[in-house]
Amino acid sequence: MRKALLYTLLVVASLVTVLPLLYMVSLSLQTEAETLSAEAVLVPDSPQWGNYAELFARAPFGNFIVNSLVVAGVITLAHLVFDPLVGYVFAKFRFPLRNTLFVALLATLMVPFFVRMIPLYVLMANLGWLNTYQGLITPFLMDAFGIFLMRQFIQPIPDDLISAARIDGASELRIYRRVILPQTRPALAVLGLFTFVFQWNEFLWPLVATSTPEMRTIPVGLTLFNQEYFTLWHLTAAGSVILFVPTAVLFVLTQRYFVRGIALTGLK
Amino acid sequence: MTSPLSRRDLLRLAGAAAAVPVLSACAGAPPAQTAAPGTFTVYWNAGHDYQAYRKVIAEFEQANKVKVNLQKYQWPDLRTRLLADFASGTVPDLVEEPGGWVQEFAISGNARSLQDYVDRDGAAMGFPADWRPVTVERNSYQGKVYGVQLHLTCNTLLYNKAMLRDAGLEPPTTWEEFLAAAQKLTKDGVYGVALNQDYTYVWPWLTQAGVTPYDPKTGKIMDPVADAVEALRFQADLVHKYKVAPVPVSSTDYSGPQKLFSAKRAAMILTGPWDLDPIAKTSPDIELGIAPPLKHKEQATQAAGVSMFVPAKAARPDLSWDFIKRITDLKVEQAATKETGMLMPRVSWADLPEVRSNEAIKVFADALPYAQDSSQQVRLTGQLGKWEEQLKVMYQQILIQNEPADAALAKFTQAAEGFLK
Amino acid sequence: MTARRRPRTLASRYARTAYLFLTPAILFFAAFFYLPIGNVVATSLRTGPQADQWSGLANFGQALADPAVRHSFLVTVGFSVLVVAGSIVLGLALAMVIDQPLRGRVAFRVLLLVPYLTSVAIVGLLWRNILDPELGVLNRVLAATGLPQQQWLNTAPLLTIAAVTLWQSVGYTMVLFLAGLQGIPETYHEAAKIDGADGWRRFWRITLPLLAPTTLFVSVMAVISGLQAFGQAYIITNGGPGDATDLSVFHIFNVAFRTRDFGYSSAQSVLLLMVIVAFTLIQLRAGRRAEVVY
Repeated sequence: MRKALLYTLLVVASLVTVLPLLYMVSLSLQTEAETLSAEAVLVPDSPQWGNYAELFARAPFGNFIVNSLVVAGVITLAHLVFDPLVGYVFAKFRFPLRNTLFVALLATLMVPFFVRMIPLYVLMANLGWLNTYQGLITPFLMDAFGIFLMRQFIQPIPDDLISAARIDGASELRIYRRVILPQTRPALAVLGLFTFVFQWNEFLWPLVATSTPEMRTIPVGLTLFNQEYFTLWHLTAAGSVILFVPTAVLFVLTQRYFVRGIALTGLK
Repeated sequence: MTSPLSRRDLLRLAGAAAAVPVLSACAGAPPAQTAAPGTFTVYWNAGHDYQAYRKVIAEFEQANKVKVNLQKYQWPDLRTRLLADFASGTVPDLVEEPGGWVQEFAISGNARSLQDYVDRDGAAMGFPADWRPVTVERNSYQGKVYGVQLHLTCNTLLYNKAMLRDAGLEPPTTWEEFLAAAQKLTKDGVYGVALNQDYTYVWPWLTQAGVTPYDPKTGKIMDPVADAVEALRFQADLVHKYKVAPVPVSSTDYSGPQKLFSAKRAAMILTGPWDLDPIAKTSPDIELGIAPPLKHKEQATQAAGVSMFVPAKAARPDLSWDFIKRITDLKVEQAATKETGMLMPRVSWADLPEVRSNEAIKVFADALPYAQDSSQQVRLTGQLGKWEEQLKVMYQQILIQNEPADAALAKFTQAAEGFLK
Repeated sequence: MTARRRPRTLASRYARTAYLFLTPAILFFAAFFYLPIGNVVATSLRTGPQADQWSGLANFGQALADPAVRHSFLVTVGFSVLVVAGSIVLGLALAMVIDQPLRGRVAFRVLLLVPYLTSVAIVGLLWRNILDPELGVLNRVLAATGLPQQQWLNTAPLLTIAAVTLWQSVGYTMVLFLAGLQGIPETYHEAAKIDGADGWRRFWRITLPLLAPTTLFVSVMAVISGLQAFGQAYIITNGGPGDATDLSVFHIFNVAFRTRDFGYSSAQSVLLLMVIVAFTLIQLRAGRRAEVVY
């Protein structure tokens, strides 16, 4: 009885989260007339798989995909390299100004991106990095969220492990790589997924930092499928489905670590 | 990993970083630099990539030995990008704008005066003689031309012929007839009319009521106030009192009324030529009727449509001007109208066979002479952004939230007096 | 490992190592965060479309007196309260359900987190399409099942965009709580059972206090992102109807990019930054106190 109730609850909740996304898939398979008709269509008469092909015919969509993969991929790798190191320092070292620096770091989470955007754009223009991969990537190589997360993960690792390694005469970098990093593997999966999802969906910076259609990422490229006064829903939805696939795949691949990873820390 | 930075890169990075505060939102930005020298960059609306313009671009590329980089955006995104460009000094060669930006950027010094080119080539290309006066005025500042109108549109009345015929109605011409028709047409899940959630759709009503939005000489706002209240209340009553129109939903989308019309759930809508194509695509079976704008105190409608301008720091204004000349040629206007049904700013365009023989376009073309640009005077004060923000709030409070029109207008006027003085 | 007990040289050696490891981060954050933020502060003291005229603290005075700024702040606080409370209550409830030994709970975990993987822009477009009272698919479904029609975007706009936000983020909160729950040793529950505490009491006396660190993390992050919510207004409601969903960051964005008053928008950003810092510090302090009690 109680179990039936819990199952009902979970099934209803899952339907609520998944049905709207299935509707997006449905939209992506409708004709333009079906998407524009006022009586919203739930299931298309005959699925228009051609909508997906049309994305590639109308715009350099292949470029969009490659650009998104390169940009989000490199940024994710950078986070996996930098964030744990900085998080480790804040978790396990004592040094002057540590708390001040940490609060200053957290404060960077509290400024909306577009507020920094114009100064960043001026900086990139002066470097001549507009419309390049390094221009799209460099401003996002680390962030406070990832460092904060890694600090939370590394804190519960016993200090004795570090002391023992020091007594053995290991160098600090070696301690980090051989003692700390192996312990954080699940945490890195979490960090990688969060970072990738966030960057993959980023809109504002690739919008302003690219100057040719060929350099656009998928979210920016999708705006091409809007007319002046209305949206081409079938194409926008098809693009959204494509946008969704890699994050979903990545999630399914990492989700095992995902919960275990967070569980390990206790999030103190 | 990321491409390793060379030492030179690092030095440049440090130098550029140090320069940021100095460049503070663009004050001393370096002189114009447009991407590659052989590339001519144009910012364009994603919905205006017409075949007719592609042809012009190909000719332009051939004649000037450049490659055109057509960057297509939605309007809000285009503006975000452009303001970032103005701050950095890296500007495109030519910009299409949705109406109103030319004067704004002329005032702020970001748009280049085209008066020298107009003096040189104006007679030959028919500018300004062949352009409707409203389009020249809205693209000028302190007696100089800063932009050239590309499309000129206006709002008028679209109706479902079969529905009106079944109800024994002629297309309404006045507000009273409009209300009566809407009441008669509302039944069985069909609304007599569907109103737009976007505040710009308030202007035809206000101008038809004889309201002057802002008079810089007297400082009067929405004058005469009683007529403005009447116009606002009339729209709210359609929704809330007579219930002949659905309550609109605030969004960034303008297509609600068109969709209801296409689905045969609204018998009349007030809109521009941009809705013709979606209607034809989704419901080709609808007998579409198009009637002139309504008349109240006067017959009037709202002028709208896009223009082009050249950023002040654009490196090759000669080329930019050549682009403008080519794309506003009467033959191009003709081809674009044939292709898309878009309305054009040239006076001689209205006499083309494509216009005269097309029942829909003809009605729009005949309304253009009395189309007005309602935000002109506010724009010249440089306070249009705040004005529009307040106007949107007032319009939706009245139309959607059913607040009393006189109180909402009083609040609007008070706020506007604050920033307009 | 407190530094004081160790020889001074060792402590300073660790400090040097720490700074060595931190150097790339310090340079990076200086270039891409603090310099731009410094630029924002400098801009907040200027006015004009190019933000090139010195105006001192005028923008701040104007912002504090501006009814639209005050209104949008209240809207934002209301939105944040809904989202923070909602994500804690719903996230915790779902986590406790899914923590039960149920078959297929991995699948449910995946399904519930799926919306989090989509962008706010797409979620916004999708829900606006679904919720439209005349044209949306939801009212069609409601009509088919004989339920009354909804006009939520007009009748309860703030609640609606908060609900859409929750829809997207509740799976993420659930995962965090789930992790916290799994970190509570089973012995505590067993001891309580022996003492004869019933389910509710165990929840209040044991689960909730031991979850305090997780709850703190979730609420700090939820407040930071709630106070900075933007896409919901930008994509779904355009701040309306009227100014009912004029969230602060959306308001600031419009002042910057629509009105082109970068000085004024920068001043509002600085004020918002101060508010968020204050909220965060209060939460951290309250969290510390909660931890001390247990």
